Amino acid sequence: MIVLEDVHKVYPNGTQALNGVSLEIPERDFAFLVGPSGAGKTTIIRLINRDETVTTGSVFVEATDVTRLRRRDVPSLRRRVGVIYQDYKLLPSLTVRQNVEFVLKATNEFDHLSDGLVEETLATVGLTRRTNHYPHQLSGGEQQRTAIARALVRRCPILVADEPTGNLDQESGWETIQLLVQLNARGTTVVIATHNRTLVDTMRRRVIEIERGRVVRDEPEGGYYG
Amino acid sequence: MARLHVARYLLGSAFTGLWRNRTMTGGAIVTTAIMLITLAGFLAINDTLNQMVTALGRKSNLIAYVRDEARPTQVTAIIDDLRTRPGVGEVQFVSKEDALAIFESRFVDQRDILDVLQSNPLPASVELRLNNPAVVPELAQELQAMTAVFDDVVVPLDVVEEVIGISNLARVAGSVIIIALTGVTLFVIVNTIRIAVFARRQEIEIMKLVGATDWFVRGPFVAEGAIIGGIGAGIAAIALVVLYAQAAPVVTRIVSFLPVSTDTDFVRNLAVFTLLVGLIVGSLGSYFSVRRYLSV
Repeated sequence: MIVLEDVHKVYPNGTQALNGVSLEIPERDFAFLVGPSGAGKTTIIRLINRDETVTTGSVFVEATDVTRLRRRDVPSLRRRVGVIYQDYKLLPSLTVRQNVEFVLKATNEFDHLSDGLVEETLATVGLTRRTNHYPHQLSGGEQQRTAIARALVRRCPILVADEPTGNLDQESGWETIQLLVQLNARGTTVVIATHNRTLVDTMRRRVIEIERGRVVRDEPEGGYYG
Repeated sequence: MARLHVARYLLGSAFTGLWRNRTMTGGAIVTTAIMLITLAGFLAINDTLNQMVTALGRKSNLIAYVRDEARPTQVTAIIDDLRTRPGVGEVQFVSKEDALAIFESRFVDQRDILDVLQSNPLPASVELRLNNPAVVPELAQELQAMTAVFDDVVVPLDVVEEVIGISNLARVAGSVIIIALTGVTLFVIVNTIRIAVFARRQEIEIMKLVGATDWFVRGPFVAEGAIIGGIGAGIAAIALVVLYAQAAPVVTRIVSFLPVSTDTDFVRNLAVFTLLVGLIVGSLGSYFSVRRYLSV
């Protein structure tokens, strides 16, 4: 469950990114955050992962008040929230498998390196044949699937994606979303910030529209433009 | 098991990082080694000077002449008290008779003078041999204040002041040089690690975003710093042992009055100290280098 209560966010340069956003995303929900560039979608994603802090208001993730989280407790939140970025954030010097293993090492889960979890995860995202390839040898869709595998291998109950199809062609974008739908069906809460109108219109899932830092629409089964 | 994995990961990452950045690593190790050899050299010089100061201090005396009318019990009490003071080596009471005997033995041909006087004009005295020349002025003042007991206090002040001067200068100069060299070593290691951190900033960002703890991110870099410091210090320690073994006897032969430590304990302690400085400076330098990249 993700809850934002009257969240305001003003960046140090004076930009007001969010202006009183309140919303609730229950467990196992699948929601799109839509709106024009600069509307505040990315800020919401960053607040959920405590990549940014609120100016006023509260953000709760699974009953944890993220705004009051002590610095040393941030890693524990981030282990529960998987974030998928438009630019994938893969390490170019590591293979697909090593990129996935890297997060297990980074989160001190060395035991899972040898119990088949990595293979299973790569199979789930359809990358079994690409495990020894480096990111530059992969298509955009495959790189994004590697990024998803990285979040998946940590068994995060929440997945937030910031423009996950932004750098992908339509087919790869579609495959990526299908993968996220599958994960949602298995119980993962999924929040996707996107500009992809076709995708949102086709999916007919929950749509939260943000405009100038405010929620202007929240429909359980909406399209990109309402 | 988990700890073994973590240790393997930390060291693995550290060595990979060092190898990736090998030119800089090599430079940092050599600089650290040179700095630490110089540092140890100064420590050895400092030790020699300190020993010299102590040796000179042992030669410094203080003589307090006892009034004839002073009570012997009073003098004995003062002598007992002086023996307990820090920096005071030997305290000897020279009675009037002893003084006369010494005079007679030293100036055999001038005995007539004493015959003329018909009585013993020489005062009894308390002679102090000091281990630490720094206590002389204070002690002299204290004894001079006991006018009922002591007639006069003779202090070889020139020598004492000179010895204290050398001692203080050696200490201050040594400390300044040691601090400066440690600073330079720290600077070199910090910059090497900073470059390593900068090269791996993407890795650090991803680690932080997926929930790695600060210590997990910092660990490999701290290990890198410790390895650079440790290897540099190891080279310095070996060079030190070899150089010292060669140089100490030569110096002692040429400048025989210099009390150069030739015992293996001193060199071993110096080598261990060098190693510790290398490890601590390396680890601390890295710890602070990574700090600003952790606020993701």
